[in-house]
This record gives sequence, structure tokens and C-alpha cells, in this order.
Amino acid sequence: MSDIRMKVKNLKFYYTGEKLALKNINMPIYNKKVTALIGPSGCGKTTLLRCFNRMHDLYPGNRYEGEILLDGKNILDKNVDLMELRAKIGMVFQKPTPFPMSIFDNIAYGLRLQGIKKKGELQDRVEETLKNVALWEEVKDRLNVSAFSLSGGQQQRLCIARTIAVRPDVVLFDEPTSALDPISTAKIEELLVELKKNHTIVIVTHNMQQAARISDYTAFMYLGELIEFDLTDTVFTKPNKKLTEDYISGRFG
Amino acid sequence: MDKRENALKQSKSIESVLRIVLTSIGMFVGILLPIIIFLSLYRESSLAINHFGVWNFITSTDWDPVAGKFGGLAPLIGTLIATFLSTLVAAPISLGIAIFLVELSPNRLKPILSTAIELLAAIPSIIYGMWGLFVVAPLFGEKVEPWLKEKMGEFPVIGKLLEGSPTGIDVLTTSLVLSIMIIPFMSSVVKDAFNMVPPIMKESAYALGATKWEVIKQVMIPITVSSIAGGLILSVGRAIGETMAVTFLAGNVNQIPKSLLDPFTTITVTLANQFAEADTALYLSSLYFLTLILFVISFFVLYASKIMLLQLEKKWKV
Repeated sequence: MSDIRMKVKNLKFYYTGEKLALKNINMPIYNKKVTALIGPSGCGKTTLLRCFNRMHDLYPGNRYEGEILLDGKNILDKNVDLMELRAKIGMVFQKPTPFPMSIFDNIAYGLRLQGIKKKGELQDRVEETLKNVALWEEVKDRLNVSAFSLSGGQQQRLCIARTIAVRPDVVLFDEPTSALDPISTAKIEELLVELKKNHTIVIVTHNMQQAARISDYTAFMYLGELIEFDLTDTVFTKPNKKLTEDYISGRFG
Repeated sequence: MDKRENALKQSKSIESVLRIVLTSIGMFVGILLPIIIFLSLYRESSLAINHFGVWNFITSTDWDPVAGKFGGLAPLIGTLIATFLSTLVAAPISLGIAIFLVELSPNRLKPILSTAIELLAAIPSIIYGMWGLFVVAPLFGEKVEPWLKEKMGEFPVIGKLLEGSPTGIDVLTTSLVLSIMIIPFMSSVVKDAFNMVPPIMKESAYALGATKWEVIKQVMIPITVSSIAGGLILSVGRAIGETMAVTFLAGNVNQIPKSLLDPFTTITVTLANQFAEADTALYLSSLYFLTLILFVISFFVLYASKIMLLQLEKKWKV
């Protein structure tokens, strides 16, 4: 087993109106590994993912209980600076969300927020990042064109690039391929495997084959509870719980 | 089976009748009506057009019914000034109100405030006019304008704009009341545009560590810029054609205002005040010519805005 990067301890989460969405979650997130969160719709996997970068704080009335430790520090603490936290824990969404600006400015967006202003440094970082997501060759001649001119798959890789440009410790993926065709999906999956060399990755996916292909650890959730957490191989070949087995063998979901 | 076939036949014949009816309504309202209005205005104003010539009419400030000399420059300039100034005041305020409503106000207040602002847009303009005349004009004439003159009358450029006697019936109050009238409309258009921004777009920016203000400035406004511009231009269209409030406040003096405190006139003011007294054919025809000019300006403002919007959308299609 490798080092633990994040640790979820007795986490409970309530949406507005005290609706309990996560019931006492305990799990580790291992450093530079891919952890997949799977489970049927409404099981709380996306809710859990959005706890990691405190996305729920954007909407009033949501409440956390328990702890999520990142390098030993509780990120659910009241005086955590959310801007700082979100620069450390990046997120990629279900659909590509390029900003209405050029390809270059999209990647530079987070860097500029970090206070990087020098043209030369920005250019270097943008180039480096685009190479990391294997998009450089496709866009190097049109960096100043609107990001909307890219195809869906390219847009999603652009969004991944935008997220990793600020060199986050952890990258959260919320069903990143659900809006993409199979070829673009394959490219993103390749990219994810590449990214774990330098990043810790947590991915929510509806696609069990995807979880099996790319993740090292898998957490199976059901009705707001963590049913099983283990090495992906173990979860998919000899799961401990009957419920997990039923789900991965397609008996419900 | 037979029943279904009959039903299909019936619904098809209804469909074809409906298609003809709706197409003719659409054609009439969308294409024929503007052409009819244009042609009738043109026919009524042809006497003035032939008598003065288009160019002479729109470059002359004459307006002398006794001598039979008419020119449209003063009301034309007046319309443009009042429109420009009121938009200048209303645009940033409306943007601010929309940002407040969508992003800053507490959830419980949101529906109340939004409805209140939409109601303001529905108040008949004569009410704004009366309010302007009996409340705003005296307040400005007696308090605000003398104060402005005292504080800023000596400044190089601003001083020039504040020359003349403060009466409250002038460019300043007219433009302000006009801007108050268009603010509700403009802000609810911008608010609707902001509400159309997908939450996931905003979240993407927050997820990179952006603050609320950065999200508004760098994501929400750029995404909605074409809708904002559209709302702005529709409001300009309203300001150009606004009659009642302006009629009460402009002063109906046929001159090109040199300062904010000068009384002036606009096309709509001249029309509203003088149609009843137009006793000669040329006088009436000159008024019609002004109407035609107003029609053409409004048409071009909207047309230009549509083209601008299309280009914006092409550039940043979301």
C-alpha cells in the first residue's frame, strides 16, 4: 500500500433542509493513485466528490459533519480559505465547460488567479500543460482562437489542462466522459492514467468498465453509505459484500 | 384502424388550415405592417420632403409655423442626447442591480425583489412623467442643480455643461427620469441572461479558486455579453420612442441644448405638443416627416443591434 494523501473520517453531509446524503463515510485516498467512486444514481458519489473541494459551500444551507484530512489538515474546518483549497484540489466536470475566451486564456485562467502575470512564464506553463494533455499538437497554431471552436473531446481535455495547469495535489473528476464519444473517452482515460504519475485522482463514474480499466482503488457506495472500499482488482473479482457483487455483476443499478 | 385514419385525415386538414392562417398573420405583422406604416408616413410627409428636401430638413434648426419654415435638427439632436445620456446612466446601474439580484441578494429576498423590479417596468410612462414634473423637477430646480453649479460650475468642461439657469425642466432631469424608466426593463433582461448561465460554468471557475467577483467579471459577463448588449439596445429603443415622461420634462423649446440645464425638445415631444395645433398642410406634413425620421431611427437601431448580436454570438457561441 502506498501513502495516504487524504482521509475521510466519519463524514456526514446534509443538504439544505437537513436531508442526510452521506452517512458516516470513512475511506482513504492514496497518493498518486486513481480512486474510483461507483454506485447507482443517487448513492451519493458525486456528493462525496463535491465535499473534497467544498463545492457545496456555493449553495446556502448545506452542512458537513466529520473530517476530511488533506496532509493531516481538516479541509472542512471553518477557517479554511476556499480559494486556496480549490487551487490545491482541482475539479473536472461532466460536461466540457470552456470559458468564453481563447484557448490560451482558458489555460492561463487559473494561473492568472494565482498571480502569475509574466507573459513568458504564462506561455511556458500553457505549452507545458497542453503537452501534458496531448492537445498541444492539435491547437498550437490557434491558441488565440475561441475555445468553443474545439470539438467536445478536445474541450474536455482543455478543461483538464486548465485544471492541472495550477498544479493541484488532487484532481477530482465528475463523470468526465459521460458527454463524450468512445474515441474521445479512450483518449481521456489514457490521459488519466498518465496524470496519476504526478497527481492523486478521484473519479466518479457510472461506467463500471471504466472504473475497472483505470482505477487502482474502488469505493462502492449505496444510498449514502460506503459499502465497500478496496483495491479495484479485489472489488471487481472477489468483492466482500453481496451488494457489491450484485451491483458489479449488473443485477441492479 | 378506420377510426385512426379518419382522425389523421381530420388533423391533417386542420393542420393545413392552421398553417395558412398562421402564415398570413405572421406575414402581415412581420412584413406587411411595417411597410404599410412606412408608406403611409412617407405619403403624409412627401409635401415637406418636396418642399424642404431631406438633407435641408434634417440640418435646419428652423421651426417657425407662422413663416412656414420647418427643420428637424433640434428635435433630432434632442432625441439622440436624451437617449444617449439616459442609457449612459441606466446601463451600469442595471448591470449592478442584475448582479445583485442573481449573485448577492439572500435567497429569500430574490423573488420579491425580482418581481418588484419587473412591476416597475410595467408602470405607465405618464406616471413617471407626472412624478418627474411634480417631484423630480422642483427638487432638481431648487436644490440639486444650484448645488451642482456651486460645487462644479467652475470646472473646465463640467462647468460648461452646467451653464444656464437651474429650472428643473431641462436635459438633466429628462435624461435622469428617462433612465429611471428604462432601468427596470434593462435590469430584468440582464438578470434573465445571468440566470441562463449554466451553474456548471460558474462552478468550473469557482473550482479553479476564483472568487465570486472574479466569476462574475470573467465568466458570467463574457458569457452573457450578447444578451446584455441586446437588452441595452432594446432599452435604447424604448428611450428613443418614449413620449409622455419626456413631454412633461423637456420644456419643448426648439433649440439644440448647449448645457445640461437647457430646456430642449425631442422628436416625440414636438409631435405630442404640436399635432393638435398644426393648422397648415406643410406644418402637418413636417410633423409627419419627423415621425418618419423617428421610425427610421428606431428601425435602424434595432436592425444594427440584431447584426451586432449575431456577430457576437458567432464569435462566442455557447
